[in-house]
Amino acid sequence: MVEIKNLTKRFGTITAVNDLSFTVSDNEILGFLGPNGAGKTTTMNMITGCLPPTSGTIIVNGFDISNNPMEAKKSIGYLPEIPPLYTDMKVYEYLKFVAGIKAVPRSKRNEQIKLVMDRLKINDVSKRIIKNLSKGYKQRVGFAQALIGDPKILILDEPTVGLDPNQILEVRKLIKDLKKDHAIILCSHILQEISAVCDKALIIAKGELKALDTLKNLSDRVSSNIALTITIDGDKVKIIDIFNNTKSILDYTEITSDKPNAYAFKLELANDDARKQTIAKLISEDCSILEVQTDQANLEQVFVKLTKQPSKKRTIYDVFDDIEKNIDSDENKEA
Amino acid sequence: MFSLYKKELQSYFYSAFAYIICALFLLAFSLEFANGISNIVTPKYTFSFSNIFYNNFFYFIFLIPVLTMRSFAEERKSGTETLLLSSPISIPKIVFGKFLAIATVFLLMITLSFVYPLITALLGQVYLSSLICSYIGFVSIGLLCISIGMLMSSLTDNPIIAAVTGEGAMIVLLFLDRFSQSDMIQSIPLLKSVFSIFSTQTRFNMFSIGIIRLNDLVFFFTSIAVVLAWVVIVNARRRWNRG
Repeated sequence: MVEIKNLTKRFGTITAVNDLSFTVSDNEILGFLGPNGAGKTTTMNMITGCLPPTSGTIIVNGFDISNNPMEAKKSIGYLPEIPPLYTDMKVYEYLKFVAGIKAVPRSKRNEQIKLVMDRLKINDVSKRIIKNLSKGYKQRVGFAQALIGDPKILILDEPTVGLDPNQILEVRKLIKDLKKDHAIILCSHILQEISAVCDKALIIAKGELKALDTLKNLSDRVSSNIALTITIDGDKVKIIDIFNNTKSILDYTEITSDKPNAYAFKLELANDDARKQTIAKLISEDCSILEVQTDQANLEQVFVKLTKQPSKKRTIYDVFDDIEKNIDSDENKEA
Repeated sequence: MFSLYKKELQSYFYSAFAYIICALFLLAFSLEFANGISNIVTPKYTFSFSNIFYNNFFYFIFLIPVLTMRSFAEERKSGTETLLLSSPISIPKIVFGKFLAIATVFLLMITLSFVYPLITALLGQVYLSSLICSYIGFVSIGLLCISIGMLMSSLTDNPIIAAVTGEGAMIVLLFLDRFSQSDMIQSIPLLKSVFSIFSTQTRFNMFSIGIIRLNDLVFFFTSIAVVLAWVVIVNARRRWNRG
C-alpha cells in the first residue's frame, strides 16, 4: 500500500508537484495521467526514493521513505521511463545483479530470475548482450528488473512504449495478473491503456491533483447529457428546422460527412427519451437516417477538460491583476 | 555491495576498457624500463626501480581519470542511476563498491608490472626492501588519484568532462609539489609547512628510498577517506538539486 500526503516538490522557484495526496491500496491499479511536464515522473521519483520531497510524507508498505528508506525501497519495483539497463551486460547477468542489489537471498536468486524471465518471455534472449536487443526486448528486460525481489508495490512509467501490438496486449494482461498480489501505479499518456487496465485514475496538471476517481465516475463527471452523431439524407433546411423545434435537443453542430448528399450532425440530448423522439420525428418528416452513433464521454474528454482547467492556487500575478482591476473600477466610479 | 562491485568489474573487463588502460600503463613502464637499462653505461646513472617508478608516476597519474571517468557520469547519462537510487543500497555503499572495483583494476595493472623486477632478478639483483616500499608508495598515490577521479566523475553527467576535469585535478596535484618547493613558499615557514603536507611526490620519494613513515601512510589513508566522503556528499546533494 502506498500512502501519499501533501506531497510537494520545488526546484528553486518552480513548483513541480503541489500538495498532492492519494493512496493506492493492495490489489489495485492506479492510472497516473497528466500532460507533459505535469510532474508525473517527479512524483514517481519521489515515491521510489530517488528524489527527496520538499515537504509531505510518503509511506510505502508501512515504511516512511524519508525515515526508513532501506525497508521502504525493498518493497518497491520501479520501471522508469528509460529502462535502467547496463547495456554491455548479458540479460541474465543483469537480472542477477539487480537481484543482488535488491537484497534477494542468494539461494533464491536463480529461481526468482527464472520466474521473472518466464513471465516476460525473455528466456530466449537470456544470454544475449542487452546492447544488441531490440527496443521491445529492452523494455521487457526493464520490466523484468522491476519484478525482481518480489516487491509489493510496482511503479511502472509507460511500460508498453516500444512494444508491438501483440506484446502490448501481453504486457497489459501481465499487469492485470500482477494486480492479484501487488499495488500498482501505472503512469502513461496512452489513454486507452489506462482505461483498459486501471481501476482508478488520477489526473494531474501543473503538479496539482485534478481528479482521483474510478474510471466510470470520471466519465460521468464530464457530461450527463447524451451525445449523438447522426448522418441524415434529406433536405438540410428541413432537418435544421426539426432540430430547432425539438425542445429536448439542447445543441447541435454540423460536421463534415464522408457520404455524398448526406449531412452529419452532432447532437446533445437532454435524456434518453429525446433520442427516440428525435429519430421518430426525422423519419416522419421523410428524412432517411443513414447512421446513428451514441458517443459516450470517454477518458480522453475527461483528460482534456480537466487538464485545461486553470490552476486553483493563486499566483502573485493573479493578485496583481486583481489589484489592478480594483484600481480601475475605483477610477471609473470617481469619474 | 558485492553485487555492485562485481558488476563494475564486469563492465571494465567486458569492454576493451581495462585491457587498453593496462596496455598503456605497461607501455609507459616498458619504455622507462628500456630507457633505464640503456642508460646504465653512463657512469653517473644508477639503475633503480625507484627511479623508474618516479618517472612513471608522471604517466600513470594521467591514466587514472580515464579509468574513473565513467563511474558516476555514465550512470547518470544512461539513466541507470535511478536503479541504484531506488534499490535498498545506501550511497556510501555505492561509492565504496565502485571504489573497490576501480582499485581492483588498478591493482591488476600494478601486478602486471611485477614482470620487470622479475626479469631484472633473473639477470641481476633486485633490492627487495626498496622495491616493496616503492610499490606501497605507488599504490597509495594511485588510490588517492582514483578517489579524486571519482569525485570529478560524480560532479557531472558527461564522462568526457569527468575525464578532462580529472586530468586537471592531476595537474594541480603535480603542481602543488613544484609550488611548495618554489623559493617564495620556502621563504615563508607557515606556507611551507602547509604546502609540504599536500606534497605527494616528497612522500613518494620517502617510500622509494625505502622508508615507510607512519605520517605518510596516515596522510594517504585519511585523504582517500576524506575524498570518498566528499563523493558521498556530492551524490547525496545532487538528489536535492536535480531538476
